[in-house]
Amino acid sequence: MRWSVYIAAVLVAAAFDASFGAVLAVGDLRGHLLPSVVVFALLSAPRRIGVRLAMLAGLVADLLAPIVVSQASLVDGGSDTAELLVVPGPRVLGFALGALAVLPLRGLLARHNPLSSAAATLCFSLLAAVAFVAIFIVRGWVLDGGTPWWPGTGGGEVLRRALGAAGDAILALPAMWVLARTRSWWGFTVMTRVSPGLARQGGAG
Amino acid sequence: MQAPRFIRFLSGRRLDWSLALLALAASLAPVGALRPWTSDLARLVSVPLAPVSHFGVFLRARVRPEQAAFDPRAPETVALEQEVRQFRALYEQARLENERLERSITALAAVRARLDGTGQRLAEASIVGTDASRRDGAARINAGIRHGLRAGSVALVSGDILVGVVGQDLGALSASLIPATKLPSLGVRLYPPQGSDPSTPLSAYPGAMLKPTTRGTWSADVASTQPLSLGMVARLADDRFGRTALGARVGTVVAIEPIEKAPLARRVEIAPLASLGDHSTVIVVVESGAPE
Repeated sequence: MRWSVYIAAVLVAAAFDASFGAVLAVGDLRGHLLPSVVVFALLSAPRRIGVRLAMLAGLVADLLAPIVVSQASLVDGGSDTAELLVVPGPRVLGFALGALAVLPLRGLLARHNPLSSAAATLCFSLLAAVAFVAIFIVRGWVLDGGTPWWPGTGGGEVLRRALGAAGDAILALPAMWVLARTRSWWGFTVMTRVSPGLARQGGAG
Repeated sequence: MQAPRFIRFLSGRRLDWSLALLALAASLAPVGALRPWTSDLARLVSVPLAPVSHFGVFLRARVRPEQAAFDPRAPETVALEQEVRQFRALYEQARLENERLERSITALAAVRARLDGTGQRLAEASIVGTDASRRDGAARINAGIRHGLRAGSVALVSGDILVGVVGQDLGALSASLIPATKLPSLGVRLYPPQGSDPSTPLSAYPGAMLKPTTRGTWSADVASTQPLSLGMVARLADDRFGRTALGARVGTVVAIEPIEKAPLARRVEIAPLASLGDHSTVIVVVESGAPE
């Protein structure tokens, strides 16, 4: 697999999500292109690099989504002020968990079928979302720090992200079709397992 | 010989586990350990994304135009109304400033110093990226320290509506905006929709400290005997955001309910007038000495 193509695709997908993606939102149901790109690569890339390439996409997603943390300010007599903080890690781990779930499914899914790719995207996004929320809850316990869903609740965030995962799966249908047209650029190696049989041994007659 | 052996050791599953542990450590690292380097890294990543996301925001504005574009009235009328709103904001700003001056002599000296040295102006900045994971997340704009932007500066839309505040992670050419609905508190005064009466003292207009709610609105307990009504306009009356931001519109009152434990106070809910995610450009306050 060509890493340069994957990195370019991840950056374009992240930029698409951060700009034009809002048009595709219906309430909390909002599809993201980035999971589709990751799942597309996961379904065809060598298994040994699957987790790593998902982590890379998770890192990009983390870097582009700073969270707002509130801090007591010393200059304003201790009043609360808001501050942006980039936490690189929650989506890295979430995407890694999603990749660990999708990789074993490769054998079960018809890879070129958009429906099966959408199902894989749903599974990937759901697990990534659960891991993301869990990590921020743990971070909240450990550090008493801010969460991205403040002033909402963790439960509400899980529901919102479950809807988001459904949106990702819906968007994956056209996205996978488009990505499949670019398959030749990605440099995936196609390995066909040839099993010996009567026809190959010339003993059918 | 040492390096290749280490690289051989750190490959395959071991490399995956090491990266995962590194990510876990970064996820649970305190704010002080992350702040010095993560913002710079994020800015670095956002550089190659800028052209694509700028084009995406342009397309988004075309596909889903801002609310004003659907206004059937003549553009001249809209422009004039916007000017009226801006001047009303300036008027409220002047009144709030006046009240503050009268409050104490020490404040007067500080304000005089501020007025003398305020070399501030308003500038337009484009939104080049938003948080893809949430509608009320932070946004990135194409203005930074080189344009004279400072952390804590306010961002306005439609002339006088506060939508956000510039965050601490300022870059040379870009900056992040914290949405107003994510700020821990906002000091405002509530005015009738038609504006304040010059002959009425400012104390007749109740003040409130807004706190964000889970619905993307704010709530505040108003301990005032003054009448409250739906549709009242909340204008910023908070010195933390600078003189330029005073009087900017924040939201409108959408619900009023009594508080059982405090019969003289009422709880109001205020809905924001504009959302950062619905706009492609914002007006920010910059130092006038900086280049355009």
